[in-house]
Amino acid sequence: MKKISFVLIVLMLVSSFIFAGGSAETAAASDPNTVRVGLLCIGDENDQGYTYNFIRGRDEATEMLAAEGITVDWVTKYNIGEDATCTDANIEAAEEGCQIIINNSYGFEPFMLEVVDDYPEIEFISCTNCASAFDGRDNTHNAFANIYEGRYIAGVVAGMKLQQMIDEGQIKPEEAIIGYVGAYSFAEVISGFTAYYLGAKSVCPSVTMKVSFVGSWSDATAESDAALALADQGCVMISQHSDNTTPATAAQSRGVFHTGYNNDMTSIAPNASLISTRIDWAIYFYEAIKAYVNGEEIPQDWCKGMGDGAVVMTTLNEAIAAPGTAEKIAEVEAGLADGSIQVFDTSTFTVAGEELTHAFALDTDGDFTADSEEAVYDGAFHESVFQSAPYFTVQIDGIEWLNAAY
Amino acid sequence: MSETKTPLIRLAKRAEMSKGRIYLIRICSIIIALILGCLPMVLTGTNPFAAYSVIIQGSLSRPVYLKQTIRTAIPLLGCAIAIAPCFKMRFWNIGAEGQITMGAVFSTYFALFYADKIPHAPLLIIMFLSGALAGALWALIPAFFKAKWNTNETLFTLMMNYIAIGIVAWLQGGPWEGRKGSQLIPMFSDNARLPMVLGVNCGWIIALVLVVFLYIYMNKTKQGYEIAVIGDSVNTARYAGMNVGWIMMRTMLISGAISGIVGTIIVSGANFTLYKGVANGVGFTSITVAWLSQLNSFAMIAISMILAVLEKGANTLQTRMQVPASIADIITGILLFCMLSSEFFINYKLIFRHKDKKEAMA
Repeated sequence: MKKISFVLIVLMLVSSFIFAGGSAETAAASDPNTVRVGLLCIGDENDQGYTYNFIRGRDEATEMLAAEGITVDWVTKYNIGEDATCTDANIEAAEEGCQIIINNSYGFEPFMLEVVDDYPEIEFISCTNCASAFDGRDNTHNAFANIYEGRYIAGVVAGMKLQQMIDEGQIKPEEAIIGYVGAYSFAEVISGFTAYYLGAKSVCPSVTMKVSFVGSWSDATAESDAALALADQGCVMISQHSDNTTPATAAQSRGVFHTGYNNDMTSIAPNASLISTRIDWAIYFYEAIKAYVNGEEIPQDWCKGMGDGAVVMTTLNEAIAAPGTAEKIAEVEAGLADGSIQVFDTSTFTVAGEELTHAFALDTDGDFTADSEEAVYDGAFHESVFQSAPYFTVQIDGIEWLNAAY
Repeated sequence: MSETKTPLIRLAKRAEMSKGRIYLIRICSIIIALILGCLPMVLTGTNPFAAYSVIIQGSLSRPVYLKQTIRTAIPLLGCAIAIAPCFKMRFWNIGAEGQITMGAVFSTYFALFYADKIPHAPLLIIMFLSGALAGALWALIPAFFKAKWNTNETLFTLMMNYIAIGIVAWLQGGPWEGRKGSQLIPMFSDNARLPMVLGVNCGWIIALVLVVFLYIYMNKTKQGYEIAVIGDSVNTARYAGMNVGWIMMRTMLISGAISGIVGTIIVSGANFTLYKGVANGVGFTSITVAWLSQLNSFAMIAISMILAVLEKGANTLQTRMQVPASIADIITGILLFCMLSSEFFINYKLIFRHKDKKEAMA
């Protein structure tokens, strides 16, 4: 008898759990100026890099929208994998009342797209990927920024430093070698380091570059090891397309210079890190959420650059940068804004000794090889014009791929 | 007996206990676990009562959540069934993770390259057969070495996991990669996906069939009896004329085949693609399921559901209350630990020095 009453008590407790509370689910949706937005992140802000940059964008956008009377109720989920847990996270965010769901990592998109048809009234956004914009659905969107512009300027800063070292006799012209820590041999990375290299080359003609792929977007140890190995191979400038700050500290420990990505790294490596570039996601979050609240369409494929503040440079480390760098940055920024400088100007680089005259931008038949939309015209390769996600995958002269396995 | 030489606490094997008492201990352990689970919540400033209610709500309160919970439970149940015969035999197969992964790899091969060539039903059958074959062969390797040279099956099966996961990592970045550099294998076409029954992939039917199969196999067949005998005493089995090595290989073959089928269910019913985390720890969590259910296949249904509720609920906990995912993992760990240790108190009793005559611990 005691046992049965015990079981009954447990059952009662459990059922009270089920029916108790439940308040969290119904908070949004009633007030038209309050919008509940899900932000699904691959890491958390402790990476001080990729996800941290999104969180920063989230908080800035919240303030910008609050100034206009729009309240954003964020549901942020961290450390989601590029796997079926992402499908679950999207379902979860949708069921918890999010009206907009932002997926912050490239690899989330295919899993996000599994869910979108079940929630036609919810807007799904995949940052940095490219299928949502062209899938014919109204409720799926892509977004990216012209980060290659920021990388070009970071390259200019690096090139000026290298040229200064050459001019002061610290290194010979042929020793101006950049070491680049890349995640994967992936279009976004290739586009980024090529832009960086061309920026450096525009002010330091003798520069060459070595790229080491680490096979992970975020692996602090591997990134550090790659940076150290590059420095040991004679690279005097390190840059990176990976999520951690370890390449900066590695550069500092080897007495070479560094430019970063996603976050200002000068506090971590004050004697090495010159400048960083990052995407300011607040610009996009602000525009997308405002459009949603006003009943307008969120753009299918959003892409803006430096001119709109979507790509920004962090504070220049004046103590170690070459003299005149700040002025040069301003000059290049203006040139990029008015179009007088093209990052992928085909007269500034060669492919196997020849000028680049042809490259496709988009893949339309799903075989993962670009087959349509000529990107080379008017003397330049036009990046992020036909879709927001980068599509520059050409291997240009002067950049040596140390390992293309990834 | 001299008083000074008796340790403060002694352990003694219990005699048979009544079913009521056993269940009482189990329920107590869950309650203790729930109380202990409050600690990390309180430390992180979360109201434990609200948190538990969110866990239940987030896993059961809506059809969508319930479906997700069941989808999570299917591989746990299937894999617990797979490893139960091995554990009954005291063959510590902790390689289910790798066997699932290899099953998933073989199924994925057909899903990627034959989806447009073979009709739906035959394709799925081929995927299941190839998955079962892959899992079986992967499991057979350590069993063969154990039977032939008496290698340590725990280490062997564990190491096989990493090889399987490594193979997937290579496929992901190499031959099966979709967009270059993306590390993603393309999603399966609809043709290679399991049909839905009552809103959840039909894997649940397969899992329930396996439950019945395991019950019959373990309790009503000669092979099941042989497994039980080996589990109790290898020497008895040898004396009775059983070919122990062969029985081990045969059991691992069956175990691996079921794990491989679980792999097929995961890729074609839940994930719709292959990646290196495809088994997602199921091969290890299912050990807990099998152990908690005392290798009873019907109890496994309930235990796998409880674990799925915890997993899904912890997810909602993170969403609604911004509890870090690691806290949810800690709570799950505490619950599992308490539930497993209750089995200890069912089998053993603690005897305190001055209370020798009485039963000290319920």
